Amino acid sequence: MESFIATGLIGISLGTQYTLLALGFTLIFGILGVVNFAHGGFYVMGGYVAYYCNVILGLPYPVAVLMAMLSMAALGWLFEAFILERVIEDHQATLMVTMGFYLVMATAILMIFGAESPQFPFPVTGVWRLGGIYFPYANMIVLGACLAAIVFVYWLVYRTNIGRGMRAMSEDLPVASALGMRTKALFPFAFALATGLAGGTGALVTPILALAPHVGDSVLAFSFLTVILGGLGSVTGATCAAFIVGLIEAYAAVYLGGSKGALTLFALVLIILVVRPQGLLGREVRRS
Amino acid sequence: MLRIDDLHVSYGGTRAVAGVSLNVDQGQTVLLIGANGAGKSSLINAVIGLVKMRHGKIIFDGRDIGNLSSDARARLGIGYSPEGRRVFASMSVKDNVLAGAVTLNGRQQAQSWDRLVASFPFLAERQAQAAGELSGGQQQLVAIARAMSGGPKLLLLDEPFLGLAPVWIQQISIAVRQMQNDGITVLMTEQMARPALKLAHSGHIMRSGLIRRSGSVHEIKGAALAEEYL
Repeated sequence: MESFIATGLIGISLGTQYTLLALGFTLIFGILGVVNFAHGGFYVMGGYVAYYCNVILGLPYPVAVLMAMLSMAALGWLFEAFILERVIEDHQATLMVTMGFYLVMATAILMIFGAESPQFPFPVTGVWRLGGIYFPYANMIVLGACLAAIVFVYWLVYRTNIGRGMRAMSEDLPVASALGMRTKALFPFAFALATGLAGGTGALVTPILALAPHVGDSVLAFSFLTVILGGLGSVTGATCAAFIVGLIEAYAAVYLGGSKGALTLFALVLIILVVRPQGLLGREVRRS
Repeated sequence: MLRIDDLHVSYGGTRAVAGVSLNVDQGQTVLLIGANGAGKSSLINAVIGLVKMRHGKIIFDGRDIGNLSSDARARLGIGYSPEGRRVFASMSVKDNVLAGAVTLNGRQQAQSWDRLVASFPFLAERQAQAAGELSGGQQQLVAIARAMSGGPKLLLLDEPFLGLAPVWIQQISIAVRQMQNDGITVLMTEQMARPALKLAHSGHIMRSGLIRRSGSVHEIKGAALAEEYL
């Protein structure tokens, strides 16, 4: 029973991480109509920025996380405004450009930091114990920070004018712009929000999981999987799906063994998508 | 208020609007009548900037807006209610309406909402409901309220009666009259000449991308009603 609860806590922490990655991914898809293949790159680079600030420059860890968020938001803004925006009308070109940008980011990391995993320990150690339930303080802090970020995203999307504009744009872009929403400003903003979240997640999560130049691959795979499962473009769908994926991954890893975890997850997602091709909360069709 | 000079719009090789000039004076309601494919919606979309014009001039409030983006045109004070309503289906009625008020701050938005609710109490009754769940007539009212919420000087209504039951045509007509009383200038298109003519001051009959007849409602009534059965 204790291990069941402890595994559940791990699943929920994984769920919050996937939520942050998937929310950004789904915002970019919903608003810009772009599948961002560079999403994992922003996560890894966020991790390395935090590592550089915290370990090499000796800045406090919270400052390092903030730096990672801000720098990745800035990079995302620049990438959208100056590169992606030029090809935004062409679906294939956006795939090529985001994929290419991911390779550039991964290679840049490899050149600067090398292929070896750097030592980037979480600054807080120790384990919280209740009876037989163990939960590391590090995971608890990450869980709390991720939850706060999720609340912030929901507040922004559902309670502010900018969020209303973003939702309107993701439903009907021409009508939204004919009502006065500035796509030229909101596109880079939405992209920067998403990449900032990815960078911040990387900064929070890589010290407790792993930091290496290639970890972006699996991050992209999981973000994509989560968003497809939840329904492309759906904010609530992405959040639900992220927690489902996190919990399945945690329980399968503990009770079925490491490699069977991923297998179970993909099999389950396959079944869900056969029954509901549009995802859990997705719309039937989306105009191009 | 709005002057259109020699407007041309084409899609690929097809000419949708082939040289239209018209004026909409301050406080007037001008009607564009014509069958499907006559070029009415293309003209409206060219004014708000959703389609590019190939040639011509669009002057709004003394300013040439032909090269502005559609959001910049909207911000100058043009409200737009599209053909087929196109409400944001998964967003609440209130969010839909306030989506048209991007230039207003929070307090002004609250005032604008209160004013619209006073005219259309149904908005308040359904404010939290997703707009996609409403009936066609209700969606049309939401689309018009959305176009109104930013306090525009000019309102573009594209086929506001399309597919509506008579009782809703009446409701929408009441809404348009209310805007006229508020002094808002309106340019509307409609296939259904009969109810639309009751609202307008003057009108133009369009066919194949050109204006065939213009005049006061009285002058064009006969021709417009004939056009309806073409």
